Amino acid sequence: MLEENGGMRPENLVWVFGTARTGSSWLSAIMGEVGGYSRWHEPLVGHLFGNLYYERAGHRSEDAHFILGARYRELWLGTIRRFVLDSAAARFPGIAAKGGGYLIIKEPQGSMGAPLLMEALPESRMILLVRDPRDVVASNLDAHKGGTWTADLMRKGGKEKPPSLAESRPDAFVKGQARRYVRDVGNAKKAYDAHGGLKVLVRYEDLRTDTLQTMKRIYSELEMPVEEADLARSVEKHSWEKIPSEQKGEGKFHRKAKPGGWREDLTARQAEIVEGVAGSLLRELYPVRSTA
Amino acid sequence: MEGLEGCAMWNEPLVGNLFGNFHYFRVGGRKTGGQYILGEPFKETWLGPMRDLVLGGAAARFPEVSGYLIIKEPNGSIGAPLLMEALPESRMIFLIRDPRDVVASSMDARSEGSWLSERREAQRSTSKQIRNPNVYVRMRANSYVQQIEKTWQAYRAHGGRKVMVRYEDLRADTLQTMKRIYSSLEIPVRATDLARSVEKNSWEKIPSEQKGEGKKRRKAKPGGWREDLTARQVEIVEDITAPLLNEFYPHTATTRGAL
Repeated sequence: MLEENGGMRPENLVWVFGTARTGSSWLSAIMGEVGGYSRWHEPLVGHLFGNLYYERAGHRSEDAHFILGARYRELWLGTIRRFVLDSAAARFPGIAAKGGGYLIIKEPQGSMGAPLLMEALPESRMILLVRDPRDVVASNLDAHKGGTWTADLMRKGGKEKPPSLAESRPDAFVKGQARRYVRDVGNAKKAYDAHGGLKVLVRYEDLRTDTLQTMKRIYSELEMPVEEADLARSVEKHSWEKIPSEQKGEGKFHRKAKPGGWREDLTARQAEIVEGVAGSLLRELYPVRSTA
Repeated sequence: MEGLEGCAMWNEPLVGNLFGNFHYFRVGGRKTGGQYILGEPFKETWLGPMRDLVLGGAAARFPEVSGYLIIKEPNGSIGAPLLMEALPESRMIFLIRDPRDVVASSMDARSEGSWLSERREAQRSTSKQIRNPNVYVRMRANSYVQQIEKTWQAYRAHGGRKVMVRYEDLRADTLQTMKRIYSSLEIPVRATDLARSVEKNSWEKIPSEQKGEGKKRRKAKPGGWREDLTARQVEIVEDITAPLLNEFYPHTATTRGAL
């Protein structure tokens, strides 16, 4: 294994879990730009293992024949570990070199598999990035309408975006997105609670209110060195204000970055749907403003 | 095959499903990128752990096997190209059946009160077949295409020992077809042992109360779809699976207008 031969060290991996539209691109861009840090953009390894384990074959966990069965957990967790470390070392040889810094792994869409990843790599650091589920759903509702950035993204991949429930049945779309939030953030929170290593919980809202202070807290709690001037420069470079106005607004990747903006975006019924589905997490993560 | 000396069967590990479903159907256009965990530019870094997952998993589960391990993996067929690339020394059986019979069998298995619906009930999943049979037929035909196309792709690319077997041939002359399998795969087998196993596992040996509609062993009758599917359902399956029917069942590829 590369790990034993001086390859990627698991403690140099910093996982960012949460769910899509929680500001993970922004956070990881700030961190990846600072000297000594690199960013791995959505490997989806958490989705690879988490989707089969928790969703498609969840009922087979006690079956000894199932490749991810409980009886052979140690064995396949070892494979996941090697999968990640070898892949990281091959992509980021500079980080894998001795004393080579840290790798920020932006993995919001792999958060479903966070408990498996953190169990396989207990030495790794972890950031749980959360955002009010109503704002997350509102952001997704905007993103999945016709002619938005998600359609552009699909076109780049050679596909046309099919008609979305976001337009034809928005309330059903909202319910689906709220469930996705519970699945992703719920599993990421489980991983966070169980993780014995260095970790930090970050609210998107705090990051928006005082980015530099929140970033300093992240580095401090994860016990990672950072030059304050470097950090301040990266925060400034990636600030909302630096994004050209033509790249911001409805239907764009950078939409409004406004905590509480869901009050303008969701109907009362849609807010109720999200609060109903994600109520438990909402109360846990946002105790003072959990219902509309 | 499982009953022969020194052999065992690994019953649906779903390792092919783990990698194949994700790689071919969930990640869209990311496959060629350098960031995605199963990205093409870094294939060597993930084929190795994939190989270890299978070999390590097999060794842990079947330490006593001195002969061959039969890995029954129909629901992991979608990952066949990746598995065979990770394990080029392995042997491969491409088992195919007329898609119309496959769909008919699947529909029966999911009908109310059937063996599979009871299991699904326990898992609290709903049956689309009950709600709209034609929608289910379409869905099952599409999954047949996905699974068989990937198996066929793996079969063509595989440089090791391999054999293609039609279910219909296996039913028509089980012993001869089994001999062909062992011969093509260059696996030694005693003719008497094989004949005994074929006899033991024959359709006729299954108690009649364990056979029939709604049971796991239903009718084992090639062409039985003519009794099971409506003309519209046959059309749906034939339209969706046309390239595969033409390739593997050219003489009965379409019955349009004949039913």
